[in-house]
Amino acid sequence: MKAFKYLIPESVEAAISFYQAHSETARYMAGGTDVIVKVKEGWMEPDYLISLKKIQEMAELHKNEATGELSIGALVTHATLEKSLMIRNDYPILYDAVSNIGSLQVRNMGTIGGNLINAVPSADGAIPLIALDGVALLHGPEGERSCKVIDLFIAPYQTILKPGEILKKITIPPQAPLTGSGYTKFGRRAAMELPLIGIGVLLTLDEESETCTKARICLGVAAPTPMRAQGAEAFLVGKKITEAVLIQAGNLAADESRVRDSIRGTAWHRREMIRVHVRRMGLRCLALIKEGR
Amino acid sequence: MNNINPDTNQEFCVIGKRIPKLDAAQKAMGRAEYIQDIRLPGMLYGKILYSKFAHARIVKIDISRAKALSGVHAVLIGEDVPDKMRMGFYKDNPPIKKGKVCSFRDEVAAVAATTPEIAKKALGLIEIEYEELPAIFDPEKAMEKDAPIIHEMHKSNVLNLPWHLDYGDVEKAEKASAFVVEERFTTQWVTHCCLGTSGAIALFDAKSNLTIHTNTQIPSLAQKDFLESLKAMGLKNKRVRVIKPIIGGGFGSKLDTYAYEHIAILLAHAVRKPVKILFDRAEEFKATSTRQPTVIYIKQGCDKTGKLTFRDMRMVLDNGAYTSWGATTPSVMMMPITSLYRVDNVRYDAKCVYTNNTYAQAMRGYGNPQATFAIESTLDMLAEKAGIDRVEIRRINKNHPGDTTPQGFKITSCGLSECIDAVQKQIPMDGPKEKGIGTGIASLIHVGGGARIYKSDGCGAILKMDDYGKVDIFTGGTDMGQGLDNITAQIVAEELGLFVEDINVVHSDTDVCPWDVGAHASRSTFVAGNAALGAAKKVKETLLAYGSKLLNVLPEDLVLRKRMIFSAKDPEKTMPIDKLLRKAHFSPQGKMLMADFFYDPDNENMGKDFKGNLSVTYAFGAHGVRVHVDEETGKVKVLDYVAAHDVGRAINPLLLEGQVYGGVVMGLGYALTEEVILKDGETMNANFRDYKLFTAKDAIRIKAPVVETYDEFGPFGAKGIGEPGCVPTAPAIANAVYDAVGVRITDLPITPEKVLAALKKKKG
Ligand SMILES: Cc1cc2nc3c(=O)[nH]c(=O)nc-3n(C[C@H](O)[C@H](O)[C@H](O)COP(=O)(O)OP(=O)(O)OC[C@H]3O[C@@H](n4cnc5c(N)ncnc54)[C@H](O)[C@@H]3O)c2cc1C
Repeated sequence: MKAFKYLIPESVEAAISFYQAHSETARYMAGGTDVIVKVKEGWMEPDYLISLKKIQEMAELHKNEATGELSIGALVTHATLEKSLMIRNDYPILYDAVSNIGSLQVRNMGTIGGNLINAVPSADGAIPLIALDGVALLHGPEGERSCKVIDLFIAPYQTILKPGEILKKITIPPQAPLTGSGYTKFGRRAAMELPLIGIGVLLTLDEESETCTKARICLGVAAPTPMRAQGAEAFLVGKKITEAVLIQAGNLAADESRVRDSIRGTAWHRREMIRVHVRRMGLRCLALIKEGR
Repeated sequence: MNNINPDTNQEFCVIGKRIPKLDAAQKAMGRAEYIQDIRLPGMLYGKILYSKFAHARIVKIDISRAKALSGVHAVLIGEDVPDKMRMGFYKDNPPIKKGKVCSFRDEVAAVAATTPEIAKKALGLIEIEYEELPAIFDPEKAMEKDAPIIHEMHKSNVLNLPWHLDYGDVEKAEKASAFVVEERFTTQWVTHCCLGTSGAIALFDAKSNLTIHTNTQIPSLAQKDFLESLKAMGLKNKRVRVIKPIIGGGFGSKLDTYAYEHIAILLAHAVRKPVKILFDRAEEFKATSTRQPTVIYIKQGCDKTGKLTFRDMRMVLDNGAYTSWGATTPSVMMMPITSLYRVDNVRYDAKCVYTNNTYAQAMRGYGNPQATFAIESTLDMLAEKAGIDRVEIRRINKNHPGDTTPQGFKITSCGLSECIDAVQKQIPMDGPKEKGIGTGIASLIHVGGGARIYKSDGCGAILKMDDYGKVDIFTGGTDMGQGLDNITAQIVAEELGLFVEDINVVHSDTDVCPWDVGAHASRSTFVAGNAALGAAKKVKETLLAYGSKLLNVLPEDLVLRKRMIFSAKDPEKTMPIDKLLRKAHFSPQGKMLMADFFYDPDNENMGKDFKGNLSVTYAFGAHGVRVHVDEETGKVKVLDYVAAHDVGRAINPLLLEGQVYGGVVMGLGYALTEEVILKDGETMNANFRDYKLFTAKDAIRIKAPVVETYDEFGPFGAKGIGEPGCVPTAPAIANAVYDAVGVRITDLPITPEKVLAALKKKKG
C-alpha cells in the first residue's frame, strides 16, 4: 500500500482548501470502506486523504417536523440510519436498503454519502434515495449547488462532482400520506453481498379513490447507473393498484432495464427478478399503506 | 452418553469432555504465530510472476530490467530450474515453466527482493513475449482425437492412470433389475478458502542444509519432496528440516507441495538468505488448487423390493494442466461407489484429462462428495421409480457390522441405521407437504481408521515425563486448526491420570517429531491418537511398576487418576504422581520416564483390482435437511439441518461438533453457492465478494447428533470424523429441492438461475 498523508479538517471550507492545496493528489474519505480497499489494491494512489469525519454539520440526521423534510448528512452511517426508528417507520425503503449493506462492521463505518459518491451500479443506498426524490446538496470551491440524487451519476465510478466538491447532505421532501415503500436486494448470500439486482418501489395512493398518484420504480445493477423504470411508473399512475397491475408494471420495468450477463448473474434471471420483486415490493407498499391507515 | 472407561470401569476424567481448543485464547488474542507473523533476520521477499495466457509458447523473456532494480537480489526463470525438479506424483509440473505455459496459473518467473513492494515492482519489469496456442477447457472435448495436446511428451490428453474396477456382473444385474435410473451429473471447482493464506520461508545453513517454515499437512512427505528438490539442485546428502507454524486452515489444501515452496527454496539458495513467499488472497484463489471437478455418468438399479442390484459409474475428470492429488480422488470415490449401501455388482471407470484449466488437489472428502452427490441423488430417483419411500430404500440397503463390501472393506462397527433414525427423528421425511418446502436425506461412508494410500499409514509419538508430573509428547500428527493437540492431550492425560494442562503437545518440527504420513483421510484422531495412546501405555506400565514397589501394591490393582496413583482396593495407599516420578529419578540408577511408539494401523493397500481393506474401520453418517424453494426466484433457503455421524466415541464432543458444523457449512457452500469461475481458463472471482463462501449470517443452526459405536480399534473407541460433515450435503440439498418443487438439479452449485430455469422448463 502506498503511503499517504491523512488530513482531518473540521469544516467544509477547511476541507475544500486542503483539497485546493493538493488538488491532483488528494482524495476525500468518509468511512473509508471503499477508499481504503482501493488504496490497498493500488487502484487509487493518493498522496493525501482528507477525512471528512470531523465535520459535525455533515453528520446530522434530522427531520423537520414542521415541513416534513428529512435531512441526511452525507456522513451519516448506514448503522445510524438502520438504528433510527424514524427511518424504520417513515422510510421503510431506506431501512430495507441500509440494514442489509455488507456486514455490521461495514455499516458502522460506511456512510450514505460515500455510498453515493463511490457511484457503483450496485450501490444499495442510491436506490431508496432516488425513489424518495432525494436532492443532493453539493459544496465546492465555486460554492453550493444542488441536484436530484439520480442526476449525480454519469457512469460507473463517475459522478457530476467537480474536483474538490463535497456532498454535504441529502434532503428528502415531505412524503404524502398513504405512501408505502420497500427495497429488495436480490443476492446469493445473506451478508457481505452486492445485489445481483436491487429493486425499490414506492407508491402513493389517493385518499378517496385508492388510485395511484405517484409511483417510483428504481433499479440497481439494471444499467450502468442506478435507474428509474419510468415507463412502468407512468403505467401505474392513475390506476387502482392490484396484483395484476403490479405484474404488468414488473414486466414493463424488466423490459426497460438494461441488465447484462456477468459472472455474478445472467441477464434473463435478473430480468425475472425485476418482474417478481416489483410485484412483491408493490404488494408490500399496499400492505404498509393499509397498516398505516 | 456412556462415559465409562471399559478398561478401568471408572468414569472418564478427560475423555468425552467438552474441552475448548487449547490454543483458542491465544488465537483470539492475536498471539498465535502464523507464517504471516514470522520474520527472520536478513530475510528477503519472494514474488512469483504468472502466465498471461492459458496456453502459449514463451518466445522470449527479458529479465534485465528487473535484475537492475535496486533491492532485487535474484530473478529466476524456467531455465534456472533443474530439469529433474518436478512436483506432483505424475512429475509433470516444474516449479517455474520453461518454453511454454499451459495455464494462467503457470509460474514463469520469480524474484527475491528486500521488500515485497520491490519484488512486485520487479515482476512488472520482466518482459515476456508469448505466442498464443490453441487452448482447451472442456475435458470431454480434450479427449477427442483432434484436440490440441497439452503436454507434447504424452500422445494424448488422457492421463495414464488405472482407475477402473468391475466387480460381479453389472450387465447381467442390470438386465435382471426391476428398476433402473440413469443420469449425468457435473460438479464444479471449489476451493478451501483457508483464512490463513499460503506461505513459506526457506533458508540454508552454512552447510547447505535446508530449513523451511511452511504451512503443510504433510511434514514428513513434504520433507521428502524437498529432499528430492535439493537432489535435483545438486545438493546431495543434505538435511531438510520442516517447521510448521500455526496453520490457519488446511482442508486438504496442504497435502501436496506447491511451486511457491520450491521457488522459495530456489531463491533462498540463489541468494543465501532466508526468502519468504506469502500469498495474497487473489493469489490464494488463483494459484492454489481446487477440489477435483467431475463429469459423472451413473446408472443404478434395484429389484422389486428396492434392494440395490448394481451401480455403474463413469467419470471424466478435468485434470487441469498439471497433476496433483486431484487425479487420485477416484481411489477414494471408489469407496462410496462400491461400499455405500450393500450393492454386489459395481463398475467404475474414471479418466483424468489434461486441459488448460487450473489443477485440483485434495480437499475435505477427497472425491467422496462428488461421487456421493451422484449416488445419493440417483438413489432418490430410483426410490421414486420403484415406488419405495426414500428413507425406506436406505434402510433396505444399509451396511451392517460384519459386512465385507465388494471392494473388500471390512465393516467393523456401523451406526448407519442409528444415524438414519436420528435424522428422521429431527426432520420427519413423511410429514404433510407444504408449498415450496421439501426434505432430503443422504448418507455417507468414509474411512474412519486411517487409509493406507501410501506405503505406510503410520504415525510416531515420543513421550517424556518430567519431575513435576508434566508430559511432553512429540507427535508426527499435524494440528492445522482441527484440534489434534486437544485430542492427543486428552488421550495421554486420561491414560496417565493427568489433566490436559499437564500435557504439552509438540507437533511442529521434523527435527524433533517422528514420522507421520500426514493429516489426511480423517486419520489423525485414529492414527495419531493410537500412537499417543501407545506411548502413554508404555510409560504407564513403568509408572505402575514403580508405584507397585513404593506402595507395595500389585500393579494391576493400581489406578492413575487426577494426578494421583493409588490402590483400587485400599485407597489409603496413595502418592501424587509427581512425587513418584521424583522418586524414580532421584534414586540410585535413577530413571526418567519416556517412551516411543509407532502405530501403523492394520489396514491394507488396495491391490491392482482395487480390493483391500483400506481402513481399519469406517465412519458412517446420514444427513437430513429441510429447505424452502422460492418458485419465483429459484432461491433455496435451508431451514433445518441435521447431520448424524457414527464416530465410534466422541473424545471431545465440543471439537467433534465443530468439525461437523464446519463440514456441513462447507458442504452447503458446495451445494448452493461456491464456485471458482473460470472463463477460458482464467479465474474470474479471485475474492470473497464474488466467491460466495457462506457467511456467519448464512450459516444456519445445525443439529449434530452423535452415534457412538465404540470401535474396538479406535483410541478409546473413536473413529475419524474430519471429513464426513461435507460429504452428503449436496445430495441431501438436491433431494430436498426435488421434494420441494419437483426439479432435479444435477449440476453444482444449485443456483437460483438453475432452479428457476428447471422450473420454467418443467412448466413448459
Ligand atoms: C466488505 C464490504 C461490503 C460492502 N457491502 C456493500 C453493500 O452491501 N452494498 C453497498 O452498496 N455497498 C457495500 N460496500 C461498499 C461501501 O461500504 C459503501 O459504498 C459505503 O457506503 C461507502 O461509504 P464510505 O463512507 O466508507 O465511503 P469512502 O470509502 O470513504 O468513500 C467512497 C468514495 O466517495 C467519496 N466521498 C465520500 N464521502 C464524500 C462526500 N461527502 N463528498 C464527496 N465525496 C465523498 C470518496 O472520495 C470516495 O471516492 C461494501 C464494502 C465493503 C468493504
